[in-house]
Amino acid sequence: MSKRITPDQPGQRIGATERAKIDGPPVENTAVLAQLKAWMISHKFSCMDSLKRLLRQPFGSFFTCLVIAVALSLPMGLTLLLKNLNELGGTWQQAAQISVFLDLNAKPAEGQALQKRLLKHPSVAEVEWISREQALEDFQSFSGLGQALQDLPQNPLPSSLLVTPKQVDKAELNRLAADIQALPKVQQVQLDILWVERLVAILQLGERFIFALTVMLIAALLLVVGNTIRLHIENRRIEIEVIKLVGGTDSYVRRPFLYMGVLYGLGGGVLAWLMLLWGFSWLNESVVQLAELYGSDFSLAGVPIEDGFSLLFGALLLGYFAAWLAVAKHLRELLPS
Amino acid sequence: MIRFEKVAKRYPNGHIGLHELSVHVRRGEFLFVTGHSGAGKTTLLRLLLAMERPTSGKLLLAGQDLAKIRNSQIPFLRRQIGVVFQNHQLLFDRSVFDNVALPLHIMGLGQDEINARVSQALEHVSLKDKAMQAPADLSTGQQQRVGIARAIVHQPALLLADEPTGNLDPRLAAEIMAVFEDINRHGTTVMIASHDLALIARMRQRMLTLQRGRLIGDGESGL
Repeated sequence: MSKRITPDQPGQRIGATERAKIDGPPVENTAVLAQLKAWMISHKFSCMDSLKRLLRQPFGSFFTCLVIAVALSLPMGLTLLLKNLNELGGTWQQAAQISVFLDLNAKPAEGQALQKRLLKHPSVAEVEWISREQALEDFQSFSGLGQALQDLPQNPLPSSLLVTPKQVDKAELNRLAADIQALPKVQQVQLDILWVERLVAILQLGERFIFALTVMLIAALLLVVGNTIRLHIENRRIEIEVIKLVGGTDSYVRRPFLYMGVLYGLGGGVLAWLMLLWGFSWLNESVVQLAELYGSDFSLAGVPIEDGFSLLFGALLLGYFAAWLAVAKHLRELLPS
Repeated sequence: MIRFEKVAKRYPNGHIGLHELSVHVRRGEFLFVTGHSGAGKTTLLRLLLAMERPTSGKLLLAGQDLAKIRNSQIPFLRRQIGVVFQNHQLLFDRSVFDNVALPLHIMGLGQDEINARVSQALEHVSLKDKAMQAPADLSTGQQQRVGIARAIVHQPALLLADEPTGNLDPRLAAEIMAVFEDINRHGTTVMIASHDLALIARMRQRMLTLQRGRLIGDGESGL
């Protein structure tokens, strides 16, 4: 029979260790350190517990990660493909070159002076001066009319400037063309704005398509992860109720599920990266063959390391956010009964 | 320790859980709450656990008014209370040790402290040798002891039990009650909701009798 003690001796209650019985209340610094340590232990415990639970269902966890990977790799792959295609087709700036034809009587020194002047323009990236002789030579070699042109009494072609803009922006290009037109000795300014507009439209269409696809797939991903977490919550309903009744805070209850979301996201991100690496490598063989037929040494750049890490970080954040939403929705329903 | 001052609990459907209950429970007391189904026993325990709030009146637990307690403070209040359920509410996917250690993990104690406290709590309910077993491998009485160990492992000031012997035969019920008495002797206030009048009568402890939410008796059992 245990000896009865007075009720104001809480240190003597069942479960009190010798240290708890002897020691007084801890000093403040020790308490903060102890709380920090406890917080870290709790996080480690939750993380390891979540990992163990996922590993206990390897197939289910793998397929959830695979779904996440597909949802992430599609928009990421298309973005990277578009980036590669941009390089294949040359820069957009080159596509938007402005041809400036000078007066027939413009002297070479005047043309070169205009070239220097245009290089100082804030919207201009590059300016190439083509003399009348160079223009005739080029035309003879490309047109196949070499003999006919030699029979002409004088060179009919003017000297010209090829201006490469810094930005492909319709309004900016029109402004630049107007500025150039106002310069002395300029006969005609030719801007193939239709081609530029088409390029910009294709680019915008591609970007919008990828954006819409990304939004839809992210929404699907949130639902998939959220639903998976919801099932985990349902399976652990009793545990959550008990935890709440023995003093678990909402953040304590939420923590393992957030780790689960992060782990799903991380798994999905790693798989997506691997899928993209493999996919680009597989596609690259055909691309290289095709490029060789056109005499080009072009090849796909693959997945840059910084894009890979962005993918991982994004996946991790999405997993966390999806889990947060699922837990926030269902935690309120799980009041102890 | 606990003071009910004209505490009433009325549910949205009109049902009255408690009707202006006024009771004072001193620190270190052992008492039973009895009455038929729907008498208000469970409502009383739920109010003490802050699972519900009184509709009116004042409910003080260690000086804290539970009618006004902030939601963020509720988990910390519950860490001062141990709860034993009729159906044990054990987690069958983990060992006896892990079940008992749960409140200590929540409190963020270190592993050494957890090992020491769990060991002591299991020793108190005579289950130290079953620590690594699964709860499913234990008898109903042993499972209830694990539930009690979990309820006392964090040294609560107050132990609440809702029909803790409801699923047990008389011999096991008496054993469980002996465990509660021993816990009480160590200074913990123990409040047990039960309708097992025969068992209560043998215990000769304070007994609150409820009927339709009203307190109709407050005295020593068996008298």
